[in-house]
Amino acid sequence: MKRLEEVNFFVKLAAAFAVTLAAWLAPDWRFGVPLALLAVLFLKLAQVPGVRAYVKGATLLVLLVMASWIVNLLVQGLALTEAVPVATGMAARLVTTTAAFFFIMETSSPGSILAAASAARLPPAVTLVLSLTFGLIPMLREEFERIADAQRARGMEIDNVPFPVRLRFALARGVPLLVQAVRMAHAISLSLSIYGFDMSRKRTTWRSVGLMVEPRLTAEKEPR
Amino acid sequence: MVLALKDISVAYSDGQVAVANASMELAPGDKLLLCGAAGGGKSTLLNVAAGVVPRLVRPHRFSGSVLFDGAPIASLPKDALFARIGMVMQNVEEQLWDLGVEDLIAFPLENRGMARADIRERLQTMLGTLELDALRGRRVLSLSGGERRMVAIAAALAATPELLILDEPTTGLDPAARERLVRILKTVAGDGPALLVAEQDPGALESVTRSVRFLHSGRLSEPMEMAAAFGQQTPWLDAGILPPVRKPAYLKRVAPGDELLGVSGLRTVLTRQDGSPVLRDVSLTIRAGEIVALIGRNGTGKTTLVQSILGMAKAAAGTIRIRGGDATGWTVARRARSIAYLPQNMRRILFNMTVLEEVLFAITAGGAAGPDEKARAVEALAQYGLETLSEANPFGLSARQQALLGLACAHAAQAPVSILDEPLLARDVQGRQMLDRFLENAIAGGRAVLLISHDLDLVEEVASRMLILDRGEVVFDGSTGEGWSSAAFASLGWPRPPVLMEKAA
Repeated sequence: MKRLEEVNFFVKLAAAFAVTLAAWLAPDWRFGVPLALLAVLFLKLAQVPGVRAYVKGATLLVLLVMASWIVNLLVQGLALTEAVPVATGMAARLVTTTAAFFFIMETSSPGSILAAASAARLPPAVTLVLSLTFGLIPMLREEFERIADAQRARGMEIDNVPFPVRLRFALARGVPLLVQAVRMAHAISLSLSIYGFDMSRKRTTWRSVGLMVEPRLTAEKEPR
Repeated sequence: MVLALKDISVAYSDGQVAVANASMELAPGDKLLLCGAAGGGKSTLLNVAAGVVPRLVRPHRFSGSVLFDGAPIASLPKDALFARIGMVMQNVEEQLWDLGVEDLIAFPLENRGMARADIRERLQTMLGTLELDALRGRRVLSLSGGERRMVAIAAALAATPELLILDEPTTGLDPAARERLVRILKTVAGDGPALLVAEQDPGALESVTRSVRFLHSGRLSEPMEMAAAFGQQTPWLDAGILPPVRKPAYLKRVAPGDELLGVSGLRTVLTRQDGSPVLRDVSLTIRAGEIVALIGRNGTGKTTLVQSILGMAKAAAGTIRIRGGDATGWTVARRARSIAYLPQNMRRILFNMTVLEEVLFAITAGGAAGPDEKARAVEALAQYGLETLSEANPFGLSARQQALLGLACAHAAQAPVSILDEPLLARDVQGRQMLDRFLENAIAGGRAVLLISHDLDLVEEVASRMLILDRGEVVFDGSTGEGWSSAAFASLGWPRPPVLMEKAA
């Protein structure tokens, strides 16, 4: 897992696009479903954090897509035997796509994205958008979990309750999450200003960047 | 002059004046300490000096002029200004995000396009000088509060600023880290940048700063020589903070009763970078009527211990007892109904939309609230001076007000055990009164408090018993007095609490 985190962000991004392209070019569900299963299996074997939660979310996604597509296709006059394979193929494409980008998000820290983008001499605006897009979602998810922990730590029973109650409590976290998201955006904006981030100047990086991105600075003295 | 503030007034809303007609100057190499009670306007004045207010944070009303190196600060491009001013905010979370330690320290240098070899050389210097080598490769948000602050200070110093502004830099630092900070400020800051620092604990930075100004209710005093002010009482008390040299004021102690919280043989699943568990074999007991202090180095596992007690960090072995019952299999929520936890950063546990709702939640744990509960909540808010803020959003409160809200919640909940993690109120006269009130109420009611603090004066004055956590184990458990002369305390390499010296004198 550690080695996957060190792979250059753009290499992972290219791989994710390739897998996604393969999923969408797959002619039908007989190719799409194995590819989706392989993608999920890869997440599991690579020990990507949060796979269990991802699988739950993906299952919900599959059910929703299957249900909505089957109803839609039946309304359009297709037989059930024709509608089910089409809906299955679409669900498989979406699972493969989300798995590929879930992998990038979970294995790329904002620091490693900044380093890869800076080493590629990308414009600062692109660097910022990339690191915030892929870096902020895990931060917001952690924030969501933090609010749940705060609720537990203050005596609110949110685990040993029926699913509808758990769902209601989870939805109730939306407002504080929104407040925290605004605060987080403010903190990042302030941090960028006081640390001299400038849209008109390309950044450099302390890290060695190639196919892999250096994860930490070793203590040895370096040749200049 | 590096910095000249003239007639600065700032208000965040009608009638809420943070700073009133403040003027001051800072010459190259000046080291000025700004002292005052929490909420007295220190952070606002520092933010004005740094160019953050009104440029990045717009107050309701701002007037006055700020000159940096002779030029109006507003006329300097943002980038050029912040290349010359290094700043660490009071709530260091405000300027951190999920970067690595090296990323954050190098961030200002990378943003200015410095060559890689130069950045790496500077990084090596900063990590070595600030003794942060053990944190290489860690993510900032995984560090303890004290470690995060040291990394933010390293980032502020990395770009060799002309003016260094530090807001409460010793908050959350253990005594050894404070001494390290002082040493660094003496060598790195030395005769170089001007230093403007706000602090509630003036003793920590006495040897670094040359003069002190007091800020009370937004009004700035004339400067005093630090050496002359240090031994006096009046200027500090007038500014609403405890004097650095004072006799100890002990809290009344009561005989301990039955066990309320017990931990035996606790080992955590969470490990350090070398693979060893954060807590290896922790055992402790807290009894009714006790205030027990838990001390230990930054990053030694104090917060992990609290999380394990609450069930939020997984235990590999050991048992937790609450009021004599085996709580090992209890959910977090069930444990939390007997243990009120107040972290240093109260924002971490606030999530309701009003102050009153937070206190009601503490009483009902999310259940329905009737008139009795509402009356209890209102009474608790009044106890801690928050009655006028009952409809305010908790996230909009100052850090001090949030700390008071935490006390009000714990007071209203009447939980048998309260855990206070580095309360921010201990150095300010009024805050300390509130904290003492909470502690006195707790022990008088047969409850107990576990106090985690690096403020050794506070530990000496309020705690009847002390636990020292080191290398994943409780290495000392005994009376506070015995603790200071124990081998375990000596091995920390910390100075004894200053109030003890005064007591001896």
